[in-house]
Amino acid sequence: MHFGTLIFKNLLRRPVRSLLTATGVALAVGAVVALLGVARGFEDSLLQVLQVHDVDIVVTRAGKTDRMTSVLDERWGQLLAGLPGVEAVTGALMDVVDFRDANLIGVFIQGWPSDSFLFDQLPLRSGRRLHPGDRQCVLLGAKLAEILQKTAGDTVQIEMHPFRVVGVYESYSLYENRSAIMPLEDFQRLMDRQGQVMAFHVKVSPGPEKAAAVETVCRHIENLSDQQGRRLPLEARPAYDYVKSTLQIRQVQAMAWVTSVIALVIGAVGMLNTMIMSVFERTHEIGILRAIGWRKGRIVRMILGESLLLCLAGATLGTLAAVAGVYWLSGLPAVAGLVQGKISPVVIGQGYAIAVLVGLAGGLYPACRGAWLSPTEAIRHE
Amino acid sequence: MSDADALFRTVNLTKVYSDGSVNALVDANVLIPRGQYVAVMGPSGSGKSTLLNLLGALDRPTSGEVFFQCQPLSAMRDLDHFRARQLGFVFQSFYLLPTLTAAENVQIPMFEIGIRAAERARRAAELLELVGMSHRAGHLPRQLSVGERQRVAIARALANRPIVLLADEPTGNLDSHNAAQVLELFERLHQQQMTVVVVTHSPEVASRAQRIIRLRDGKVIDDSPGFSTC
Repeated sequence: MHFGTLIFKNLLRRPVRSLLTATGVALAVGAVVALLGVARGFEDSLLQVLQVHDVDIVVTRAGKTDRMTSVLDERWGQLLAGLPGVEAVTGALMDVVDFRDANLIGVFIQGWPSDSFLFDQLPLRSGRRLHPGDRQCVLLGAKLAEILQKTAGDTVQIEMHPFRVVGVYESYSLYENRSAIMPLEDFQRLMDRQGQVMAFHVKVSPGPEKAAAVETVCRHIENLSDQQGRRLPLEARPAYDYVKSTLQIRQVQAMAWVTSVIALVIGAVGMLNTMIMSVFERTHEIGILRAIGWRKGRIVRMILGESLLLCLAGATLGTLAAVAGVYWLSGLPAVAGLVQGKISPVVIGQGYAIAVLVGLAGGLYPACRGAWLSPTEAIRHE
Repeated sequence: MSDADALFRTVNLTKVYSDGSVNALVDANVLIPRGQYVAVMGPSGSGKSTLLNLLGALDRPTSGEVFFQCQPLSAMRDLDHFRARQLGFVFQSFYLLPTLTAAENVQIPMFEIGIRAAERARRAAELLELVGMSHRAGHLPRQLSVGERQRVAIARALANRPIVLLADEPTGNLDSHNAAQVLELFERLHQQQMTVVVVTHSPEVASRAQRIIRLRDGKVIDDSPGFSTC
C-alpha cells in the first residue's frame, strides 16, 4: 500500500461529505475559471484584432481612462502620418449599439475611412469592401450577419437608420465577427461626432528593431504640437499595452478576481469545516497513529493530502464544468462573438493554483491541530 | 538482577495530572528485564495505564525517570522513532482504519521506517500468517469478528519488529474464546524472546504472566511472580 492510497481511502470513509466538499470547491474553481476565461478571451480577441490588421500603435486622447469617450480631431491624423517611421495611419470611431429585434445588445460598430489599411486584412465572405463615396453602407461580421440573418444586398436598421449591407467579412477574431464596419463619415453623422475619431491606428514601417521603433514613434506622437506650439493631448501606446490598459478589460478582470477571492474564501472555509470535523472524529485514531510512531509531519501530510486531494478533485470537476459552460455560452446568439468558446490553459492553471491554495488554507490548521495532539489525550478522547 | 539486564527501569516515577489533584503514579520503581512477560494489575484509577504510557513514551512524567536499555527517555531526541522501532502497542479498542484491509492496516506503522511498498506488503503477509489471519488479509475490519480484529491489531503492533509489546487491556473487549487466542499469541511471542507488558484487571490474564506488578492509588503495592511461569 502506498501513502497516497491511505489518503484516498480516508476520503472514502465519508463519501457524501467528501463529495459535497469537492462540489463546493468545484463551484468555486468553476466560477473562477469561467470568469477569468471569459475575461482573458475578451482580451485575447481584442489583441488579435489589432495584430491581424498590423496595428502597432493605438493613439487616444490623453487622460481618458475610458477610451470609448476619447475624442480626437480627425485632422491630427495627417500630423501623425508625417512622422518618421510611420507607414500608415487611419482614424477610427467606435461605439456600441443594440439590435433589439434580434435580442442583441452591445454590438460594436466601427467607422473606418474607405481607404483605411485596416481593410487589407479583412477577408470577405461575400459582397465587396467599402469604396470611396459609399454612403449608408455597412459591412457585417460573419457572426452578426448570421444572427441578423442578413447577407450582401440586404438592408439593416442601425440606430433607426437603414444601411445597405455591401459585404460580409469573416475575421480571425470572434469579437470582430460580431461587429459591423461602416464608412467613417456615415458613422460620425450617425453618432453626431462630425470631424471626430476615437482613436488613430498607426502602422510602423517594417524594420529589424520593430519594438524600439514602435517606442520611438510613440514618443514622437506624444510630443506633437499644433501650429500654436501647444502639445496635442495624445496618448500613444503599443497595441499590447493598449489592450492591457483598456478600462473595460480591466473592469472585467477586476470583477473576475474579486469573485475569485470570494470563491477562494468560501472554498477555504468549507474545506476548513470539513477537515476540522474529520480530525475531530478521528482524534482517537490519530492518537493511535502517534502511539505507533507516526511523526507529527506524517500526520500533517496525511490530513493536508486529504484536503489537497479533495481540492484537486473539485478543481477537475469545476474546470470541466467551466469549459463546458463557456462553450455552451459562446453558442448563445445574445453573447456569440463576445465570449470565446475556449479557455486558455493559463486560466485553467490559475484555477488549479487557487484549488491548491484552498486546500492548503483549509487543511493546514486541522492538520496541525491533529498532529500536535498529545497521544495520551487523543487516545482517551471519546 | 543487574541494571545491565534491565530493558525498562523506572526511578521514583511520578505522574500528577495537570490540575494537581490526581496523583496517578507516585514514586514507582520498577525494573523489567529483557524477555520477561509482565502483567500490571490494579483497580480502575490505580495508575496502571499511566505506567504503561510512561514506559511507552506516550506521556512525560511529572518527576522521576524511565530508562530504556540504560538510556533515560527524557534525553532521547526522537521519541517517535523510539516508539516506531522498539515498541509495539496493543489497545483495548483496536482502532483499525475502517477503509483499509487487514493487510493494509498492518502496514501502517511501516511508513515510518522507510521500507518499500513491496516489502511492506510481504512483511504484512508474514505477520498475518503469524497471528493466524492470512486467510482474512483482504477483508475490511467490519468484515472481521472482534477477536480477529484484535489479532490484526497485534500484527500491526509487530509490524516494525519491536523488542517490547505493550498491551493495555488487550482482552477487555473479547469473549473468553477470543481472549484465550490472544493470550496464546502473547505466550508464543514471549517464547520468541519478546518482552511483553500487559495492563489488565483480569486475574485470568495476569495468571499467564511470569510476574505481576500490583498498583493501588498510584503506588506499587506488590511485585511478585505470577501464578505460573512460561
